[in-house]
Amino acid sequence: MGAPDDEYDNDEECEFAEEVSSTPSAVVKSCNNDAYCARRDAPMSSSKSSSVDPSSSSSVVFSPELLGVYYSRLFPYDLLYSWLSYDPSSIVVNNGKVVTPSKASSSSSSSSSPSSSLTFPRREFSMTIEPSPGQEVYIRYQSFTSRDELCSAVTRRRPTKIDIGAVFNHPPKDNKSLPSGRLQTVERELVFDIDLTDYDAVRNCGCGGADICKKCWTYMGMAMEVIDAGLRLDFGFVHVAWFYSGRRGVHCWVCDDGARKLSNEARSAVASYFEVGYTSRPASASISRYLGMHCVPLFPSFRAHHVNLGSDKNKGMHLSSPLHPALSRAHEILEPHFVDRVLPEDGHGLLATRASWTKLLLTLPKAAHPVASKLEERWRSTKDRSTPREKWIELKSELASFVGGGPARGGGGPAKAPKNMSSIDRTRIEMWPVETVFQQTYPRLDINVSKMQNHLLKSPFCVHPKTGRVCVPIDSNDFATFDPFAVPTLARLIRELDEYEAKSGDGDAGVVHDWQKTSLRGPFECFQKKFLVPLLNDERRALKEERERRAAVIGDF
Amino acid sequence: MNVAGPVRSRQSSHTTSSYDAKNKRADGGSSSSSGVDMYLDVPSFELSLDEFEEFALARLKVLRKIEEMKARNLLPDLYRSQLDAAIKSNLRSNDRIDVASHFILRAAYCRNEDLRRWFLTQECHLFRHRLESLSSRGPGNRGSGNGNGNNHDELRDFLIRNDFDLDRVSAIEKERLRDKLLCVPGTNPVEFNVTEYYRVPFVQALELVGRRECHVSDGNAYVPLARIVSIVAAKFRSSLSRSLASAGVMFRQVVSRDEKTRIGPLLTSMNSQYTGPGGGGTGTAYGIDGEGTLTAANVDDMAARSMPLCMKQLHRGLQRDHKLKHQGRLQYGLFLKGAGMTLEEHTLYFQREFTRIMTGEQFNKQYAYSIRHTHGKEGKRASYTPYNCTRIILGNPPQSGAEHHGCPFRHYDDASLSALLGQLKIGNTVDRDAIMAHKRDGNFQLACSRHFEAVHPGAIALEGVSLDGVGNHPNAWFSASVSYYNAKSKKGGGAMTDGGGMTVVKAEEGV
Repeated sequence: MGAPDDEYDNDEECEFAEEVSSTPSAVVKSCNNDAYCARRDAPMSSSKSSSVDPSSSSSVVFSPELLGVYYSRLFPYDLLYSWLSYDPSSIVVNNGKVVTPSKASSSSSSSSSPSSSLTFPRREFSMTIEPSPGQEVYIRYQSFTSRDELCSAVTRRRPTKIDIGAVFNHPPKDNKSLPSGRLQTVERELVFDIDLTDYDAVRNCGCGGADICKKCWTYMGMAMEVIDAGLRLDFGFVHVAWFYSGRRGVHCWVCDDGARKLSNEARSAVASYFEVGYTSRPASASISRYLGMHCVPLFPSFRAHHVNLGSDKNKGMHLSSPLHPALSRAHEILEPHFVDRVLPEDGHGLLATRASWTKLLLTLPKAAHPVASKLEERWRSTKDRSTPREKWIELKSELASFVGGGPARGGGGPAKAPKNMSSIDRTRIEMWPVETVFQQTYPRLDINVSKMQNHLLKSPFCVHPKTGRVCVPIDSNDFATFDPFAVPTLARLIRELDEYEAKSGDGDAGVVHDWQKTSLRGPFECFQKKFLVPLLNDERRALKEERERRAAVIGDF
Repeated sequence: MNVAGPVRSRQSSHTTSSYDAKNKRADGGSSSSSGVDMYLDVPSFELSLDEFEEFALARLKVLRKIEEMKARNLLPDLYRSQLDAAIKSNLRSNDRIDVASHFILRAAYCRNEDLRRWFLTQECHLFRHRLESLSSRGPGNRGSGNGNGNNHDELRDFLIRNDFDLDRVSAIEKERLRDKLLCVPGTNPVEFNVTEYYRVPFVQALELVGRRECHVSDGNAYVPLARIVSIVAAKFRSSLSRSLASAGVMFRQVVSRDEKTRIGPLLTSMNSQYTGPGGGGTGTAYGIDGEGTLTAANVDDMAARSMPLCMKQLHRGLQRDHKLKHQGRLQYGLFLKGAGMTLEEHTLYFQREFTRIMTGEQFNKQYAYSIRHTHGKEGKRASYTPYNCTRIILGNPPQSGAEHHGCPFRHYDDASLSALLGQLKIGNTVDRDAIMAHKRDGNFQLACSRHFEAVHPGAIALEGVSLDGVGNHPNAWFSASVSYYNAKSKKGGGAMTDGGGMTVVKAEEGV
């Protein structure tokens, strides 16, 4: 579209190139009202009119004007529509190459045949709009009959956030005209929300609240791996999509037919299947008193206080022994990450310094006191050069030989457990390494999001207003490597778009959508190929089987 | 819909139905011991009016037997053998009796919350008993070789017939999954080899899945036989509960329109057939004579003299704190309504207490509505039934201090109850010890009856005093007490010194 756009001046471009870390101070720029209105009138125009007052804040990653361009040119309405309509005809697979019907053709087909069996028109969308800076208006129960209707509403309203709700028995926009109680949820993807704020207790990187860094993001990678494996292997779900939430978390959408139709009760059950509670280490205030001390009175009277993973349930629960198969698998997944990314200095440093290992040893069950004293003494010695990984292995084998009587690694002779140790103590000591791994790394779900069909969750492909980053899909091969700081910001995208068009004009073959001209191309096409196409193929197969079954019943082939 | 079952049964002229066919296959002849049925299909065969009543009463005997045995806390073995005997003598005389009687009683007991609750509870016990006897001769008694295959097939048949989509896990697969299955909490390694596992879609085992108490793989839950019983029982309970609720909605229409003179009266009187308790009376039946007898003016005296302990506690709580929490307002308010207090008096009484700590405006804003609601004047204008003992005992316990609802015999600890009895000067030490003994044994309703006897000596010998339902319903307790004092005052407080022993017998029957 349009001629190369050079209206961004150089100085602003430089700013766009810079990686802007997520800070709450990211500016929601006050918009010029005239420009805003102009945008409303011409939503499909090129990015020209979005060029903003260059004298404005230098680190703009997000502004209503940029958002306007994003919604009018980059937002993948086709992907969202194909997905949420579960309509196989909305996407064409050509020799293995995916082609979404182009805007022109899809607009006519999708609006002309909104079959009543399609769920899209009965899907709730809700929008957060900012009519003026700082003023938020939340609009629920929106629904759209077609892709185009969605598109025009979004470009017109320019919401700072779009939420997706359930499919209802009636179009939710008729909410007001229906007798109360008539509008009922019918189906809804099974969704999960994981947020780094729930990890504050185990984030030793200095982040807290909404801040994130690469170190604490590793917890998200682990969480995605564990939940994804559980959903696929245990529950047999196939169409599982993950998205970056735009700031400090991830969202998971399970879209199998069976998952969409789960009752609230079943959702709760699945969510609690993934939920684990435990007893936490003592509060750090009580630890600091012992740090400088000689190691002997390691366990005077600290009271372990209980925290939990995810929700307030299961307070103080220990893991049962033996571990449930799902938890064993989670442990197999998590422990290597724990060793690589949590223990060392460049991770969360759990065994990297004397202070931190003393703190960790303090969490051992009281009965394992001799092991703690022994290791504390050994690691304190200047001769000791063991790495955090070696310390972890040593700690585990010391504990094992302490309760099991086997030979311990290293010199000094193993500490021996008293013969009369209770079986409860024995189990607690055996389970301690596992519980420690879980406590540090096991996914912490906000399970209330998963429990109800009608809970809203932010739509993928939105832009987070605080960071300006797009909620991009995360491929299941990239859980460990996904880098939230590499996710393009609005500003960067607009610049890429302009650069692309300056370079090659508008006529490149294979480029149908403007988003293909930007760094959104990778994640979006991956989503299309690996999630959307298999999903719609399954839908097509199911439709065909249903047709054949019906034909067989009435004898009409 | 289920109301229509027995009603329609007499109008249709055919006895054939898919139900019969299924049932015959299941029972494999009258000798079958199982007779487990989810009662999902409404039968359609003809019954005479006599049979209609006879069948229903036969089942009622069994259900009341169950209630009685549960109240007495019988040992499991004794419970099973007695229940088997009761089933045999009542529900085996005829092929159709079991299913017919279930649906007749379902219709008779769908009318209100208390009846539904009672019926649901007893039916679930019965169902579970039958299901367990279907599976118990399985792994448990394997000593006699492989002779139990039949039972498992019967259970299997039952599960298939009722759309429980499950596969028995083959020996080979079980071996392959051994490590995983053994890691599930609650699995007994010793019994593993003789435990049968079934594979069910995980949505059928949600409770187990949610608590991670089964192995889950590829959308299926792997559940040992013993746990299948709990899955099936849970499903039975929820489907019966739903059916009862929807039947309750239709009951009035069907019975008043089409069956006003024929089956209607039979159904509506069913729960009060056979003297004695267990039917779960409706609250209004216990109202004292003459509307408005209980007023804001006399409630303090009446509470001290004639209210059961739970209501006395609510009364005292209101007097002391000048307010009641939500649960307490409901329990006490409905009781007052059932005891004949009018809306006007009720409002007057609560206003008098509440406005000690708040303005009249506040009271009108926050509390008057709920009082009108209690009397069916607001909202959906439902006529709410006063809570019976079961409901109070099973309800949420009061949070200490601020809440006064619940059953003191159930919800107070020994020390507080004992102190309370002393403080209220209830009976003599012998009485109080007997009450405490009942409480400690978990016989809360017996304790309550004992309380009644202690403060109403010789009640049984008085004419016009009905002790039915004392210990089952607070309103029964109250009306019995009121009639006791009425009768006594008529006799001029005459010689009422003996008869205590008799009272005990009667009151214990009443539980």
